[in-house]
Amino acid sequence: MNRQEQDKPAAVPHMARTDIQRKWQSQTKTVGLTLLLALLVGLLAGCSGSGLAQEGNTEGKLSITATTGMVADAAREIGGERVEVTTLMGPGVDPHLFKASQGDIRKLDRAAIIFYGGLHLEGNMTRILEKMAAQKPVIAVTDKMPREQLIGTGEGESGEYDPHVWFDVNLWKHAAEQVRDTLIQEDPDHAGQYREQAERYLEELEKLHQYVQQRMNDIPEEDRVLVTAHDAFGYFGRAYGVEVVGLQGISTAAEFGARDVSTLRDYLVEREIKAVFVESSLPARSMQAIIAGAAQRGHEVVIGGELFSDAMGEPGTEEGTYIGMVKHNADTIAEALQ
Amino acid sequence: MMDFWIILTAVLVASACSILGCFLILRRMALVGDAISHAVLPGIAIAFLMSGTRDSMWMLLGATAFGLLTVFLIQTLQTFGLQSDASIGIVFTALFAVGVLLISLNAQHIDLDLDCVLFGEIAYVPWDTWTLGGIQMGPRAVFMLGITLMVILLLLGLFYKQFKICAFDPAMAAACGIPVLLFHYLLMGMVSMTAVSSFESVGAILVVGMLIIPAATAYLLTHRLGIMIGLSVAVGIVSAISGYLVSYLLDASIAGCIVSVAGILFILALIFSPSSGLLVKFTRRSSSARTAS
Repeated sequence: MNRQEQDKPAAVPHMARTDIQRKWQSQTKTVGLTLLLALLVGLLAGCSGSGLAQEGNTEGKLSITATTGMVADAAREIGGERVEVTTLMGPGVDPHLFKASQGDIRKLDRAAIIFYGGLHLEGNMTRILEKMAAQKPVIAVTDKMPREQLIGTGEGESGEYDPHVWFDVNLWKHAAEQVRDTLIQEDPDHAGQYREQAERYLEELEKLHQYVQQRMNDIPEEDRVLVTAHDAFGYFGRAYGVEVVGLQGISTAAEFGARDVSTLRDYLVEREIKAVFVESSLPARSMQAIIAGAAQRGHEVVIGGELFSDAMGEPGTEEGTYIGMVKHNADTIAEALQ
Repeated sequence: MMDFWIILTAVLVASACSILGCFLILRRMALVGDAISHAVLPGIAIAFLMSGTRDSMWMLLGATAFGLLTVFLIQTLQTFGLQSDASIGIVFTALFAVGVLLISLNAQHIDLDLDCVLFGEIAYVPWDTWTLGGIQMGPRAVFMLGITLMVILLLLGLFYKQFKICAFDPAMAAACGIPVLLFHYLLMGMVSMTAVSSFESVGAILVVGMLIIPAATAYLLTHRLGIMIGLSVAVGIVSAISGYLVSYLLDASIAGCIVSVAGILFILALIFSPSSGLLVKFTRRSSSARTAS
C-alpha cells in the first residue's frame, strides 16, 4: 500500500510527505472515507424515508392558495365550506420581501386556484404568478379595479400603482367581487352559494366602510393627520379624508434618509400633531427617532399605537380577519387623535 | 414534476459550478463568483437606462456584458502583477459603486434592486417555462443551464491538458508554448457566463456557494485534478439532491438548504479527510508523541 502510493506522481509539490505521515495516512484514509460514506447514506436514507408523498385531497373541496391574509380572508368568506384556503404570507410578513420556502411552492403547485394582490405587491414573485396563469386560474384580485380609482406612484414606468388598495374598503369590494366571479367560473355548480355568501360579505364590507368613515369623522378636522413609517395608507387617507404623511417610500425595501427624518420632525412640531403610528410589519426604530427629535424642540408626540399595514394579525384573533384588522386600525387612529 | 424540475436545475447548477470551482480554487480566485454577483449592477442600470424597461432579456444582456467585463478586468489587473484577491476586490467594489451611482443619479425611484430584477429564485423555476411553436418545452432555466454545462464540458474536454497546466504552473505552460493568457480569459469567460445565467435562474447564494464549497471539499480529499473535479461534482450533486430533501422536511428555503448541506459535507471532509483532515492530524500528532516518548 505504501509502496504503491509512493509510485504515484504527486500532482502538487507541497504534497510531499514523510514516511511516518504516509503510514498514518493510509490507516485513517479507509476509516475516514467509510465514515464519510456512511454519513452520506444515512442522510439520504433519512430524508427519503419520509418521502415526497402528496398530501391527501381535501374531500372534493376547492383548494385555494392566497398570497396575503387579506386576499385569503375574502376567499374564505365567499367560498365558505366549499373551499380550503391556505395563505402563503402569515402575520408580520412583508409581501415585498417575501421569499418562498419549499412548502410555499408546494402550496402554489397544489392549488386549484391562486389569488394574489397584484399591482406588484408581491415583488419579484409577481412575474412567476403571471407565468403560472398559463396553467391554472391565477387571479390578481386588483385586476378589474377601475384604473382611474387607483393611486399612481407617478415615478418610474407607466402603469405602476400603489398596491395597498385594501385600506379603501369600498375599493376592496372589487376584490371580493373578483373572488366571487372566479369561484363561480371555476365551480359553476355552486354558483348560488357563492353569490349568496358574496352578497353577505359585501354587505359587511359596506358596514365596515361606514364604520371607518364614522370613526374618522369623530376626529376634529384639523387633527386628521396620519403619520406612519411607510406609505401604505394612501388609499385610506383618500377614502376617509385623512392626510397621510409617510416616512418611507412606497416599497419597504427603500431606506429613509436623514433629510426625511428632519422634515417629518419639523412637520410634527408645526402642525402640533399628537400621535404617530408604528406598523406591524416594520420596526418602530425610525418613528422613535422622530419622536425624540420633536421632544427636543419642545413638542410632545406619542406613539398612537400599532397599525396593520401589509399583513394581518394572528389567525384566531379579531385582527386576524380583514374586517377586524381595518376596524383595529380605525379605532387606534381615532382614539389617538381625538 | 415540480420536484423533478427543481432538482434537475439544482443538479445542473451544481455540476457546472463545481467543475469551474476546481480551477478557481487552484488559481486562488474562488470569490470571483461573489464579485460577479455585485459587479453586474452597472450593467443592469445601463440596460435599464437604454431600454427603459426591466424586462429580463435586457437585464440579462447588461449583466452578461458586465460579467465579462468584470472577469476581464480582474484578469488584466492580475497580469499586471496585482494579487488575485486584491484585483477581485478592486474590480467588484469599483463596479458596484458605479452601479449604485448610476441608479441614484438616474433612476432613484425605480426598484432596480439586483434581488428584484436579476436574481431568480430556484423555487420558481418549474413555472418559468418557455414554448417553441406552441409546444411546452419545460423550464427555461433547465435549457439555459444545460447549454452552459455542455459548453463547459466541451471546452474542458477539448483543452483539458492546457487548462490543467495553466492552473497549476502558468510559467511551465508558457514554456510549453501554450497561450496562457488566452486560456485564463477563456476560463474566466466561462465562469462569468455560468454565474450570470445561473444568477438569473436560481439566485446568487446558490451559485456563489456552489462555485466554492464543492471544489474546496474535493481539494481536501485529493490533490489530483481529475479526481478533484469528479469529487467536486459528486459533492455538488449530493448537496443539490439532499439539500432539496432537507428543504422539504424543514419547509425552508431551497437554495439555503442546498448550500447548508454543501457546508456540512465540507466540514465532514475537514474532519475525516485522509490527507489533510483534523482526524488524521490528531492521530498523527499523538503517534509522534508516542514515538518520542
